[in-house]
Amino acid sequence: MILMLALPVAALVLLSFWTQNGFELDRTLTVENYAQLVRLSDEPTIWFGIPFYFAYPVPAILMLKSLVMSLTATIAVIALAYPMAYFLAFRITRNKAMWIILITIPFWTSYLLRVFAWKVVLGFNGAINSGLKAIGIIDQPLEFLLYNPGAVVVTLAHSWVAFAILPIYVSLEKIDRSLLEAASDLGDSKLRRFLRVTLPLSAPGTVAAALLVFIPTVGDYVTPTLVGGPGGTMIGNLVQELFLKQNNAPLGAAVAIMMMLIIAVVVAIFLWAIGYRRIRARRM
Amino acid sequence: MERLKFIDRMASGKVSRRQMMQSAAAFGVGTMMLPRRVASAEVLTCLEWGGYDSPDYFSSYVAKYGAQPNFSIFAGEEDALAKVLAGFAADVMHPCNYSVSRFVNAGVAAEIDTSRLSHWNDIFPALQTAEGVVWEGKTVMAPADWGNSSLAFRPDLLPAEFAENPSWSIFYDEEYKGRVAMSDNEMAIIIGAMIGGMPYDEAYKMEGATLEAAAKEWGAKAVNISKFLWTDSSEVQQAMASGEIVAAYAWNDLVANLRAEGVPVVFAKPKEGMFTWFCGLTLLNTGKADEQAAYDFIDAWLAPETGKALIEGSGYGHSNMKSFEIADPEAIANMGITDPVEMMKDTIVFKTPSDTVQEGFNKVWADTKALKY
Repeated sequence: MILMLALPVAALVLLSFWTQNGFELDRTLTVENYAQLVRLSDEPTIWFGIPFYFAYPVPAILMLKSLVMSLTATIAVIALAYPMAYFLAFRITRNKAMWIILITIPFWTSYLLRVFAWKVVLGFNGAINSGLKAIGIIDQPLEFLLYNPGAVVVTLAHSWVAFAILPIYVSLEKIDRSLLEAASDLGDSKLRRFLRVTLPLSAPGTVAAALLVFIPTVGDYVTPTLVGGPGGTMIGNLVQELFLKQNNAPLGAAVAIMMMLIIAVVVAIFLWAIGYRRIRARRM
Repeated sequence: MERLKFIDRMASGKVSRRQMMQSAAAFGVGTMMLPRRVASAEVLTCLEWGGYDSPDYFSSYVAKYGAQPNFSIFAGEEDALAKVLAGFAADVMHPCNYSVSRFVNAGVAAEIDTSRLSHWNDIFPALQTAEGVVWEGKTVMAPADWGNSSLAFRPDLLPAEFAENPSWSIFYDEEYKGRVAMSDNEMAIIIGAMIGGMPYDEAYKMEGATLEAAAKEWGAKAVNISKFLWTDSSEVQQAMASGEIVAAYAWNDLVANLRAEGVPVVFAKPKEGMFTWFCGLTLLNTGKADEQAAYDFIDAWLAPETGKALIEGSGYGHSNMKSFEIADPEAIANMGITDPVEMMKDTIVFKTPSDTVQEGFNKVWADTKALKY
């Protein structure tokens, strides 16, 4: 633990308190990097109609954009994974192991290859465009498929769906079937039974799955690099850019640490909101 | 059986953490005890542009060492420099006349002893002493390839008026939104400023408020109009071959490759001017391989056979005068101008910005890209 996690994080924290001065690294401790991230300016930068009153607005804008994109991807992942896990847990009675293996087969290939495959699917002469053209629905290739935030969200959703299916499946599998029978016997319709018994009991797995997808996707940079174009840039790309292009590792480290803190806060708020609702439900 | 029992116990949660760690450590110890590779003969490591890792360009090195060096591919010199500064141990790097100073100023470039290069005396004399090859009185780059950066377009997909009077302004024209591709480079801002009337000699060294304003006006436009900003020349080549984009910032190789595929493409001489660069090999002091191997690699790049491959394969010029004697005359005729000095008179030669200017461009360009939506 200490070697693999604590030391690198400590190094990152230390680095974020240094500053880059041309080619030299200035090793005096300062909070200048963080100050740069939150320094205000009178003239706002307008992005999507939202005014950002920052002197250096790029990190804040990309952070917000990444959170929104990854939240969308997470919702899409849960919407895709839940029915699949449900099917696996309740409809499949034989050869369950084989089904699980089948679901994970696409994930035996490299992450990079899967992202690249989406580039082929969504591309100008890609699978979707040539398919639609062949059956005569469109005569000009659709331009909006690749190189935008939408393409990033679609690719992220697909790449992470297997990670969500398994925790949801486990929590659904653990539900005591007699509870479902009891609900039916007491007159619940199928929908009410699902909403009152299945869904709450599978909540832990679903929450775990959502966090498992949300946390890593916020900082992803491979997917936006390959399918996002300049419009699909995320905060991870900024960190990479600061480290490897602008040669400003200390500022990159500060952005990375701010990102971790913000994600931690967002996740804490999310968990608090869920826990709060559950307590209230019990009182009633 | 012992092993199976361990897995069983682990699955049922009966293994204590200490036992778990012990078993894990056993694997770690296993890895450490594996035979190490012999460390004596370090392989040469080169930072290279995509496409230049083909053995055609350094055949005499391969003939001598029996293997290719290791390559790390970069999309722009600034990426490569940051990688070296972050600790990547490269022996040789392939910068250009306008970027070599960055490596010298960062203290990672070493002076080249030209007497150790057998082909040095066949290099065009003008290139031997050009700014960039020589920096602050020292030879820091062995010039190898030269060529142009210009506007490539598909004449069959654009109106005839454009083909008659091509202009860089296509990259800033709303009408072509999503149909052009600029390169992922601050040139998008510089060329914009040139369209706005600023000569290149001022545009390349913009700073401070001027730079901010040019980035807001021209950089943002280029980012929004471009379908994508290319970093990899095969990406832009495919997009241009399919007609996804009709115009791109390009080098000579794009045109040569597309023509070889039978795609109609014009390498324009835009009214604002076309650019000339010359690149070469720089010896880095961060490498671990034998210095002689680095010299052999650089020398291989200067060989006339390499020039022949460059001229015939990608339409680039070469620094060795003898290359033009052995290359296919038809390929030479296709290049147009074959004397780098003539070429430089006729076009805009890229200039070297100061470190502060370059760093300013890096930051402003990154911010401009990030603000696209």
